[in-house]
Amino acid sequence: LNQVHPQAARIAVVTGSRRGIGRMIAGHLLDEGMRVFGIARGDETFSHDAYTHIRADVADADAVAAAFRQIRSEAGGLQIAINSAGVLTSMHAMLMPPSKAREMLDVNLFGTFLVSREAAKLMKRGKWGRIVNIGSMAAALEPAGDSIYAVTKAGVATMANVLARELGPFGITCNTLAVTAIETDMLSQLPADRIRAIIESLPVARAAQPADVLNTLDFFLSEKSDYITAQTIWLGGVH
Amino acid sequence: VTKDEAMKLVLRALETLNEELDQPIDIGPQTRLFGSEAVIDSLSLVSLIVDVETDASEAAGRSISLTDERALNRQKSPFADPDALAEYICELANEER
Repeated sequence: LNQVHPQAARIAVVTGSRRGIGRMIAGHLLDEGMRVFGIARGDETFSHDAYTHIRADVADADAVAAAFRQIRSEAGGLQIAINSAGVLTSMHAMLMPPSKAREMLDVNLFGTFLVSREAAKLMKRGKWGRIVNIGSMAAALEPAGDSIYAVTKAGVATMANVLARELGPFGITCNTLAVTAIETDMLSQLPADRIRAIIESLPVARAAQPADVLNTLDFFLSEKSDYITAQTIWLGGVH
Repeated sequence: VTKDEAMKLVLRALETLNEELDQPIDIGPQTRLFGSEAVIDSLSLVSLIVDVETDASEAAGRSISLTDERALNRQKSPFADPDALAEYICELANEER
């Protein structure tokens, strides 16, 4: 087999790349000189010579398989997968529309599963890969209104831990980057006073900045991090 | 996809797998891949199925899933040996969509 040298980790896929954390990470990887495939339900929101946007619903198994066939055909391989696609409806459980609860399970959890396994199939031939799930402080803080969202974010961390076992023999690490409040469209859906209260309760009482996320991401993606797997790093001291 | 083409695809994937094994196996149409007499471990079987699935999809020009419910419910596993696997690939690749 051709061994992919870690420094040749040049092909990445980022889900939810149209906006928010996914958009930020896609831009960062492009700045690092990587070729990036973005997967999102809507049209692209930016362009770059090394960026290919694929319109697909990560919760649709056939669409995800087709997206990765395209990546395989155009790039021949893959080394990095960032599961950032996510939706949030924060609402009391007794009021939550079932369709919104189901959408969170489908996109946040099932979508992460589908993308991770297709990514792993591409990574395994190179015997090197990095899968990073974007988690959330909600999984640890368990705030009221986030019954389903918190479950999905706890779920992606558990999923990364299990996949770390399954994919370790192929040289693929799987970790979770659990973010705190960071300025995104998703965060703006929540009441400002609620966000302020949560931030004030954190050991590091401030919102996350892009550099906080990217610093942790770079650690997970580093060629030196091949012994770092099945880990969740909580930003801001959340635990 | 003919049975011969499917068999070549399976044997090629086994040769690739062999390069990774500490103790290479003898490869042929009757090599036991699954069950109590299997000559490869479960992780190697997973790796083999993924490779074969990818190559079979490419050969057929569409997505082929070797591990759907049908495969799991069969009396004789399509993963028993390369012969059974090639037969199953043919069946999936050539069926009406």
